Amino acid sequence: MKREHEEICGATSYGSGSGSKAESSTIGNPNKGKLWEEEQDAGGMDELLAVLGYKVRYSDMADVAQKLEQLEMVMGTAQEDGISHLSCDTIHYNPSDLSGWVQSMLTELNNPAAVNLDPVLGNSNSNSSILGQINHDPSKPQRQQQLVSSNQSQVYNDDSEYDLRAIPGVAANPPPKSESDSESTRKRMKTSIGSSGSTGYGSSSSSPQGIGVSGAVTESTRPVVLIDSQETGVRLVHTLMACAEAVQQDNLKLADALVKHIGLLAASQAGAMRKVATYFAEALARRIYRIYPQDSLDPSYTDILQMHFYETCPYLKFAHFTANQAILEAFATANSVHVIDFGLKQGMQWPALMQALALRPGGPPAFRLTGIGPPQPDNSDALQQVGWKLAQLADTIGVEFEFRGFFATSLADLEPEMLEIRPPEVEAVAVNSVFELHRLLARPGGIEKVLSSIKAMKPKILTVVEQEANHNGPFFVDRFTEALHYYSSLFDSLEGSGVAPPSQDLVMSELYLGRQICNVVACEGMDRIERHETLTQWRTRMETAGFSPVHLGSNAYKQASMLLALFAGGDGYRVEENNGCLMLGWHTRPLIATSAWQLATTESGK
Amino acid sequence: MVQHHHRNRHRQDQETVEENKGKRPKLFINDHVDILVEILKRLDGRSLGVATCVCRLWCTIARNDSLWEDLCFRHVSPPPSSVRSVVVALGGYKRLYMACVRPVLSRLGRVRRASWTRDEVQLSLSLFCVDCYERLGGSNSPNGRLVGELSPSSLMFLCKPVNV
Repeated sequence: MKREHEEICGATSYGSGSGSKAESSTIGNPNKGKLWEEEQDAGGMDELLAVLGYKVRYSDMADVAQKLEQLEMVMGTAQEDGISHLSCDTIHYNPSDLSGWVQSMLTELNNPAAVNLDPVLGNSNSNSSILGQINHDPSKPQRQQQLVSSNQSQVYNDDSEYDLRAIPGVAANPPPKSESDSESTRKRMKTSIGSSGSTGYGSSSSSPQGIGVSGAVTESTRPVVLIDSQETGVRLVHTLMACAEAVQQDNLKLADALVKHIGLLAASQAGAMRKVATYFAEALARRIYRIYPQDSLDPSYTDILQMHFYETCPYLKFAHFTANQAILEAFATANSVHVIDFGLKQGMQWPALMQALALRPGGPPAFRLTGIGPPQPDNSDALQQVGWKLAQLADTIGVEFEFRGFFATSLADLEPEMLEIRPPEVEAVAVNSVFELHRLLARPGGIEKVLSSIKAMKPKILTVVEQEANHNGPFFVDRFTEALHYYSSLFDSLEGSGVAPPSQDLVMSELYLGRQICNVVACEGMDRIERHETLTQWRTRMETAGFSPVHLGSNAYKQASMLLALFAGGDGYRVEENNGCLMLGWHTRPLIATSAWQLATTESGK
Repeated sequence: MVQHHHRNRHRQDQETVEENKGKRPKLFINDHVDILVEILKRLDGRSLGVATCVCRLWCTIARNDSLWEDLCFRHVSPPPSSVRSVVVALGGYKRLYMACVRPVLSRLGRVRRASWTRDEVQLSLSLFCVDCYERLGGSNSPNGRLVGELSPSSLMFLCKPVNV
């Protein structure tokens, strides 16, 4: 929000104060720092605060932050009614001038009057929770100041908290003494900041003292603010959230400014955070400018990306192994089995199953595989190639094998009759879906149709592996937040996977995830196919559709744990059992979930 | 180097034995292949690998897949016979051990210790199978571009050093 104000010289000018000379500048352009002729260097305006409506220059940032911190300290230590006059008595003529505003508050506090100040106190308390999350070391005033400034400014964005157009008070007639006091104070504070900065000027720095002590006024130095990457990390997250909010409110100008800022902030980070921020920023930019990503990419390209993802981290392997274990246990006594794979891709799941079937006591059953995949743009029969490879392997290990491939743009287009299902007495059927079902949620009625098709196939078992996240909520901001946390964990786990950074595998895996991020954030409607939902949501859906859960046994759990232990960085991965379903997560955050289902009929289950 | 050392030792043995003027029968291990096999059967993986470098006879014997099979299943109850045909078809026990069992065991910290369970071997088998599948080329199909392009790397994660 931008506000237009006229400066009233007598009231809030503090001599050659920094931000208080609002010389008819158009507030809309925060980069015109040159209009401000001050004794200090005229740095540019801080863009972030400018976007929020406050004009604070880069050179004054540390100063303002320190003042805010003092203010907070005083407010915290004052008697309950010691500072309340600030809300009623003080005139603020230029609220966008954060620096001057805070200064006026501080001079007020020098001359305390007794009025109630609950609202402001209440606000600073609510702020403390934000600050509390951030571990700031009190001995590092720089970091804390920046935090305070960014957090406080967000609070003050909300006008309704207190009426800034207050009745005239002491601030209207500042005694000349306070003017010089504040000037020298400001200079003193600046000096102290300058000396604690990297340039190391003048006297030693100390943590901010109360005002009124006029120390030696040395030459005003340009304060140097140390950019702390942890603090910029927090700023980055806040900026991302603010941008998402702006997008949701359709405030595209603001969103645009913020997106650019994200780019800057992301550059100061390292590792996973930077990559995640970059992908999210790109996705937001696409959403803002409506440059939607082409969905009709060569499926073999996505297959390649997924292969690299398969190799780098255990998620897909975990999915395959646990699903295979469930299918194996369901097929324990069958002589002829049929597996329908909703997303065949490269068929990496099936060699292990075939090998386990081959080693089954009693010999292998006849194994039939139906693979479903997206249509290829160049009409090459990718499915048939995969089927051929699997057939070769089956031949090697002595398993009778049959393969059929089906091209389908969407699973909802499939009809059970096309798949030539044989009756359950002849052949046991298993349906397997790894990261495929959530795409159906984009189409109304899609998932219901597919689930009823599955029921018509009368499977012995249905294995479902899905991402454990809610990226399908009705509000954009909620989806955005969820996705941010989810993909941050994922990228963290990739970083911890022990792969040397410029490895092609790692880059491709990240690209694979990046495309998902793009879809979650930038697309809408039918295009948004990455509609992940949590296990609980899927459970409800499956149970409503007429399936009952099958518990994955301890064998699956053991295999999964062992598999994870093999991965470098394996101690970060966790397998959890959740009511018979297995979840793989990174540290405390579950990321994917495998579940198994059977038809909830009166017939004997197993 | 090892070869040399062993040969020297053999020669020395022979010499010392000959010095004893036929009081004791000469024992040249290479004459008693069955004993040699029994000894080699009890070695661990690394030693078995070293043994293949000793001399041609040792090499032939040590490369015999049945020795490696014993190594894989040493502390596990004997698997059903069907396993052998599968493993042999997939590339043999030596490959299984080198490509999967050994990295799996070392990652899980079990190589030094004597015993490991069926599960580790099962897991190794599964991974081995996936690896073999990857190595199958799409030689027949004309459009094998995707299939041929990807080099077999599903076991790469086992080769990477842990906790770099």
